[in-house]
Amino acid sequence: MERQSSERSHTIDITGNVCGDICTTPENPKICAGAACDLSNSTTASRERDTSMRKLAIAITLCVIFMIVEVFGGIKANSLAIMTDAAHLFTDVGAFAISLFSLWASGWEATPRQSYGFYRIEILGAMVSIQIIWLLTGILVWEAVQRLIYEGGEVKGSLMFAVAAFGLVVNIVMAFLLGHDHSHGHGHGHDHDHDHDHDHDHDHDHDGITVTTHHHGHNHSEKDEGEPLLKKTNEKKKRNINVHSAYLHVLGDSVQSVGVMIGGAVIWYKPEWKIVDLVCTLIFSVIVLATTIKMIQDILEVLMESTPREIDATKLEEGLCQLEGVVTVHELHIWAITIGKVLLACHVTITQDANADVVLDRVIGYIKREFNISHVTIQIERQ
Amino acid sequence: MQERKDASFSYKFPDGDRRLAFSRQPSFRQWEPHLSSPSPSSSTNPLMHRSHSFKPYLARSDSTVSVPFLEKSEKKDSTWIVLMLAAVRGVANGSRPMKRLALMISLNVAYSMIELLIGLFTGRVGLVSDAFHLTFGCGILTFSLFAMGVSRRKPDETYTYGYKRLEVLSAFTNSLFLLFLSFSLAVEALHAFMQDESEHKHYLIVSAVTNLLVNLLGVWFFRSYARVNIVYWKPEDMNYHSVCLHVLADSIRSAGLILASWLLTLGVENAEVLCLGIVSVTVFMLVLPLFKATGSILLQIAPSNIHPSAFNKCSRQIAALEEVFEVQARFWELVPGYCIGSVSVQVKNGVNEERILQHVNGLYNDLGIQDLTVQIDYR
Repeated sequence: MERQSSERSHTIDITGNVCGDICTTPENPKICAGAACDLSNSTTASRERDTSMRKLAIAITLCVIFMIVEVFGGIKANSLAIMTDAAHLFTDVGAFAISLFSLWASGWEATPRQSYGFYRIEILGAMVSIQIIWLLTGILVWEAVQRLIYEGGEVKGSLMFAVAAFGLVVNIVMAFLLGHDHSHGHGHGHDHDHDHDHDHDHDHDHDGITVTTHHHGHNHSEKDEGEPLLKKTNEKKKRNINVHSAYLHVLGDSVQSVGVMIGGAVIWYKPEWKIVDLVCTLIFSVIVLATTIKMIQDILEVLMESTPREIDATKLEEGLCQLEGVVTVHELHIWAITIGKVLLACHVTITQDANADVVLDRVIGYIKREFNISHVTIQIERQ
Repeated sequence: MQERKDASFSYKFPDGDRRLAFSRQPSFRQWEPHLSSPSPSSSTNPLMHRSHSFKPYLARSDSTVSVPFLEKSEKKDSTWIVLMLAAVRGVANGSRPMKRLALMISLNVAYSMIELLIGLFTGRVGLVSDAFHLTFGCGILTFSLFAMGVSRRKPDETYTYGYKRLEVLSAFTNSLFLLFLSFSLAVEALHAFMQDESEHKHYLIVSAVTNLLVNLLGVWFFRSYARVNIVYWKPEDMNYHSVCLHVLADSIRSAGLILASWLLTLGVENAEVLCLGIVSVTVFMLVLPLFKATGSILLQIAPSNIHPSAFNKCSRQIAALEEVFEVQARFWELVPGYCIGSVSVQVKNGVNEERILQHVNGLYNDLGIQDLTVQIDYR
C-alpha cells in the first residue's frame, strides 16, 4: 500500500526513469527519442562489453602464440599428434574470433533497417560457435573410429600424454581468463553500479533537487522488495553469452584433453589397449555435448521469440488486469532480443471513462517495477 | 501440388500470381484478433485471451482440417515409444513435402547403415567416413522434418508467436551446415593439393553414384525450389528451399567425386583438387543467399519485401496529422510474409485515440503489416 501511494504521487518520476541515461528528450521523458530505449548503448553496457572484448582479445593472442609454438614443435619433432592439436587450437581461435566479432557488432548503433539494434548478432554468433563445437566433436569421434579401423598406426602413449597435458594447461589458463574473472568482477558490484548509474545520470539530466530526493527514496524502497525477485535475473544477466560460449569451448577442449591424457597414459602403460583411446574420446565427447545443451536451449528460446523463462506471463497478465481502469489484456507478447533485454507488446482495454494517459503510466510503471521490462509498447483501446 | 494450408497465416500474393489459386485461402485468422474493432465472427469464441480459454481443436472456420502434430498431453512423462508413434503419425498425416522428406531421410539412413557395415567389414576407411558424413546430413534433414511437423502447433503461453519460426531456424541450420560443408571441401582440396601423390579412393565411386541417385531423387521432389534466389512468401518456403539446396549440394559433391575419379583415370593431374575446389565454390555460392535471408529474419532486420521508402512515407503521413508530434516505428519479420510492428505516437492531450489508431492501422495494413501495437502517448 505504501508503495502504491508513493507511486501515484511520483508518476512522472517513474516514467522518467524508464529510459535511463541517454535517450530521454528534455521535453517528454516518456518517449524514446534515441534509436532505442534501454536498447541504446548506455555507458555501463559498453563498459561491460569492453571488458569482455578485452578478455577475448587476450585469449585469442594467447591461443595464437601457443599455436605457433606447437606448429614449430610439431615440425621439429615430426609428429602428427602435435600438428592436429595445433589445428585444434586454430579452430579455437576461429571460435573466439566469432565471439569477439559478435561482441563488437552488438555495440553498433541501430539503423532504420535494423531498428532494434544489433544485439541479436550475439545470439547468432553464439549459435555458430556451438555448431562449431559440435562439428569438432563429431570430427574427433570420426577420427577415433578411423584410428581404430586403420590398425596400422603406431600410437606413442608418451607423446599423446605430453601433448594433451600441454593442451590442458593452456585451456585451464584460458578458462580462468574467461570464466573466473567474469563472475567476480560483476557479481554484486555490478548491481549497485547499475542502480547508481541510473540515479546519478538522472541527476544530471533533470533539474530540481526535489525530483532527486523523491527519486532516491523510491528507488531504495523498491530495491528492498524488488531485490529477491530481480536478483536471480541480474545474476544470470551478467554472463555475456559470447564470453560464455567461448568459455564452453575452452571447457570442452580441456575435457577432451583430460580424456586424451587418460588414453595416452593407459596406452603408455599397456600399448595393446588401443581401444581405450576410442572409448575415452566417445565418453568425453558426450560430456562436451552435454555442457552445450543448456546454452542451445537459451539460444533457441530467444530465436523463437518465446517468453523468457524468468518472466511469468500469467502473473503479469493477472497483475495488469487488477490495475485500476484496466478491463482486459490481450495480444500479450513478451520476447527477448538477447539474453537480458526483454520487450513487451500488448493491447490493453480500458473502461470507457478512464483517462488513457494515467492508465498508460500505471501499466508501464507496473511492468517496469515488477518485472523490470523497460521497453514496452502498449496499445490502449476503449471498451 | 496439393498442400494443406495452415489457417493461421494469411498471405497476400500479388495480382497475377496464381500459384496457389486452387487452394482455398482462409478468410479469417484464428489467433490474431482484430486490432481495433471487435471480431465479427463467432465460430471461434472471441479469443482475446490466448490459451486460457478453450480453443477448439478442429476449428470450424478452417477450410482444411489441420491435425495437430503432437497431442498436447497433460502428463509430461511420455515414453519414447509414444513419442516415436506420435512422430510417425505426424508424418503420415503431414503434408506432401513432409512425406517426401521422410522418405528421403529413411533412404539416406538405410544407405548409410549399409555403407557403414560394409566399410567396417572390409576395413575401408573411406566408406566409413562417407557414412558419417551422410549421417550428419541426415541429422540436419531430420531437424528440418521435425520443424515442419512442430511448426503447425498453435501458439501457447511460452511461444506467443507460434512455432513457425522453427522453420526459419531449420533453414538457417541447413545453410550453416552447407557453409561448413563448402569450407571442409576447400580444406580437403588444399590437403590434396599439398600431398604429393593422390589419395583418391576409387572404390568410393559406387557409393558416390548411389548417393547421387538418392539426392537427385530428392531434388526432383523439391524441384520447384531448385533455384538460388527465391522470394519467400511463406515460412515453409524457406525450409523447403533449404532442404532442396542441401540435396542439391550433396549431389554436386557426389558428381564432383565421380568426375574426379574419371579424370584421374584419364590421367589428368590434380584432378581431385580441381573438382573439389569447384564443388566447394559452387556450394558456397548456392547457399549464400539463403544464409543471408534467414540470417536477416533471425536478426530482426526490417522486412525486405517492403521498401524502406514505404515505411518513411507511412510515418510521414502519420506525422502529418495535426495532433501528432512524433512517430517512432519499428518493424521486424517473424517469418517471411508476416511482419510485426510497434509504433509509438506522441499526440496532443485530449485527442480521441480511436481515430488515430484506425488511421495508423489503415496505413500499415495497406503495406501488408498485420500485427501492430500502437502506443499513444499524450504530451
